[in-house]
Amino acid sequence: MRWRRRDTARARLPRGEGPWAWLSAGSVALSLLLLALLLGLLLSRGLGHFWPGDVALVTLEDGRQLAGRAVREEPLPDGSGRERLYRTGNRDLDGAIWDWVALAAIHEVSYPRELLVLERRRWGEFIGRLVALEPEAGPRLEGEAAWSALEARLVALEARREAIRRLREQTIRPLVRRLEREGESAEVTRALAAAEARIGALRASLGGASLVLESVSGQHSIEPLEEVVRARRPNAMSNLDKLAAWGQGVWRFLSEGQRAANTAGGVWPAIFGTVLMVMLMSLLVTPFGVLAAVYLNEVAHQGRLTRLVRIGVRNLAGVPSIVYGVFGLGVFVYGIGGHLDSWFFEASLPSPTFGTGGLLWASLTLALLTLPVVIVATEEGLARIPHRQREGALALGATRLEMLTRVVLPMAMPAMLTGVILAVARAAGEVAPLMLVGVAKLAPQVPVDGDFPFLHLERKFMHLGYHIFDAAFHGGDVQAALPLIYATALLLVLVILMLNLTAIFLRHHLRSRHGTLSSY
Amino acid sequence: MMPTPPTSTMRQRLRQGRDRLATALITAGGIGVIAAVMGIAVFLVVEVVPLFWPAEPPRIRLEALWLPQDVAGLDAPAYRWQPTLADDGGPLFSLPPLVWGTLEAAAWSLVIAVPLALGAAAHSALFMSRRLRARLRPTLELMEALPGVVIGFVAGLALAPWLERHLALALALLLLVPPGLLLAGGLWRQLPARLQRRLPLGWAALWLMPWLVLTWGLAQWLGPLLESQWFAGDLRAWLEVTLGLDYASRNAVIVGMAMGFAVVPSIYALAEDALSGVPRSLAEGAQALGATRWQTLWRVMLPAASPGVLSAVMIGAGRAVGETMIVLMASGNTALMTANPLDGLRSMAASIAIELPEAAPGGTHYRLLLLAALLLFAFTFLVNTLAEVVRTRLRRRYRRLGGPS
Repeated sequence: MRWRRRDTARARLPRGEGPWAWLSAGSVALSLLLLALLLGLLLSRGLGHFWPGDVALVTLEDGRQLAGRAVREEPLPDGSGRERLYRTGNRDLDGAIWDWVALAAIHEVSYPRELLVLERRRWGEFIGRLVALEPEAGPRLEGEAAWSALEARLVALEARREAIRRLREQTIRPLVRRLEREGESAEVTRALAAAEARIGALRASLGGASLVLESVSGQHSIEPLEEVVRARRPNAMSNLDKLAAWGQGVWRFLSEGQRAANTAGGVWPAIFGTVLMVMLMSLLVTPFGVLAAVYLNEVAHQGRLTRLVRIGVRNLAGVPSIVYGVFGLGVFVYGIGGHLDSWFFEASLPSPTFGTGGLLWASLTLALLTLPVVIVATEEGLARIPHRQREGALALGATRLEMLTRVVLPMAMPAMLTGVILAVARAAGEVAPLMLVGVAKLAPQVPVDGDFPFLHLERKFMHLGYHIFDAAFHGGDVQAALPLIYATALLLVLVILMLNLTAIFLRHHLRSRHGTLSSY
Repeated sequence: MMPTPPTSTMRQRLRQGRDRLATALITAGGIGVIAAVMGIAVFLVVEVVPLFWPAEPPRIRLEALWLPQDVAGLDAPAYRWQPTLADDGGPLFSLPPLVWGTLEAAAWSLVIAVPLALGAAAHSALFMSRRLRARLRPTLELMEALPGVVIGFVAGLALAPWLERHLALALALLLLVPPGLLLAGGLWRQLPARLQRRLPLGWAALWLMPWLVLTWGLAQWLGPLLESQWFAGDLRAWLEVTLGLDYASRNAVIVGMAMGFAVVPSIYALAEDALSGVPRSLAEGAQALGATRWQTLWRVMLPAASPGVLSAVMIGAGRAVGETMIVLMASGNTALMTANPLDGLRSMAASIAIELPEAAPGGTHYRLLLLAALLLFAFTFLVNTLAEVVRTRLRRRYRRLGGPS
């Protein structure tokens, strides 16, 4: 030990603990630091993406100009300075949306107010200048007039898009279903034609106008107005405007579906799929988990066998989730699903109905996976209830059922709730088994809609966790999708942390309550 | 209550009947649920058995699963996992690369996690202030709840590219952090007593964090220096030329770091339980005889709690072996058998996740993947059971020694 020699100093100072005390303290600090680093990374990259940052106009030493948002800086590979990555958009003009620029080659960086950022349905972002707006009829607008006209037009455009969407969802879809069910009938055909005509008219009113754009490198392009989703001039926005835009961005991320192969848009279908699957799972796991726990703790003879079973159940919580996925695929999908198909859905064979992954099988698999969690938590709650409570109930003449339902289960309620919440938190983060039993990269239909039986258990669904995996590893342009993946990861982590915090608080509450209980 | 006798007996009988019925239902349901959960093992065994007792002659030789095979284009027989038809012949099923990948990933994650988790457990059992300890536990529980897909994503798309560019910085950090901590301890001893009370050892876990950030800054300065001094300016090239180690962007060390991070909380929680469960009379006796707290831990508490600590590590190993998403996203998924920690790997769990949806049910590939699942199941179940048995024994021993106080 290094400080042994300082024996004289020891008399004055508090006793030394040697080097290991500091190394062990450092391991706690390091773990906490890593956790903070991870959460900080998710927070900054996930939330920062929605902030409409300033667009820089960079003039290089050789006279070339480019406009974009600075993303990050790196040292050059040969160590001769640093380079900066700009997100420049304009995939249709430049073929790429990124540009690495060596810092030494930059002559000047400015932030002109008129730089425009367009979000388009195809080709992603455009960054450049607005030259003119050419309406269907009437004179061409230029300069500031074009910008204010564009803003007004986009609001109107959004309203029309919404109208089309509503018409499609609420009028055409039910009519098509009816057509499939009842066959052709004059009335339906007429209604369908009328709706189609209305959509056609709305569509026609979308088109016509177009924007004349110019990138900072001088390339011109013409963009039909209907392709434009949003237009902004970030350099002209105040911080308050930016904050509002940030809020809007976050809201759209939560409420919209994805566009452009997951590089833009939101994650609403994935949120919906995750929540629906987890809800179904908790509906399945709660009664069965509680039943098994009550059996193990209250009914079964407390012998060697029960103890073994209890250890077995406890250890199933440690079995890898992928094994449950394998079980789900083999038993639920291929076994039960295959048989269901051959009995009830023969008409649509060989394309499987239940014989392929789907919502029902996914929730069943995850219910099985989380069953040990619920059983263990409930059992802990049951074991905490003092025996005199049970004996008191029985002494007053209650049967065992009455004792269970009136005394024991209400007292074990917080424990059950804790178990279910922990189960939900675990299920929300599991991805591996879902890859085998029913998650989809892009589900064409949401599992809930207005058609009988409203909840379609056989459909595939989207999931936040799988969305992260898929966008990060199977997407085309991972760099472009990265900010959205960070945002998705942050969302998933927040949901799971909230659930876990709730469970921790519940457990704490439970302990303090039982602390008072046993002092009777 | 004064009901008339006949209805009373009727009601009594009804209640009794209902009770018996409910008990029967609970029993049936409970046994059913438990049987369903246990059915996993049965299912896996039933599906795997046809590999070994085939009704028809098998299409692959079973020895090929664990012996090297002749591979077209190679002189010597080799281990290959190539489940889809390659252009030069049939599929090659050789399990050793997958087993190796699984064990390598688990081993590296334990290398990272065990010192961190056990150090943290020792510190919080010995030195940490009670208030901080009460907070630390839930925080680490939250860390445990972080989904694997998020950790894997960060490891594969943020950590791996970063490490690839800053290899020298990482090396410098590795070299600087332990001496830096010792230096912090040395400096702390030189502080005046008033300041020492302001920065007590019990809260060192918090106030060492800025110190670690400082170390990071120092490493950023030292890293390039190290690289140009010893490694000819490029650590990666030096590794490849001098040591012959290929560097894959997503490699075993990245997997180890990510999975180690994920496993730390579970090992910590169990090890801390074992250490703080040691009867206080033992520790107090040792300290009364003049031992420092660390000597108490090393000579008294650790021998008493060693089975518990071992079971914590075992449970960590079980988790690391079965973890799917982190390995899938951080490892590159190349089925290699090399001892090079900077090369990619492919684990059994990741193979199952990738290949099983495409494998034809009932086919050889399908059954082999199920065999992998069975191996995972058996391994984790055994390890967990063993750990549980050890912990039960330990608890009994503590009770005999005077009970947790």
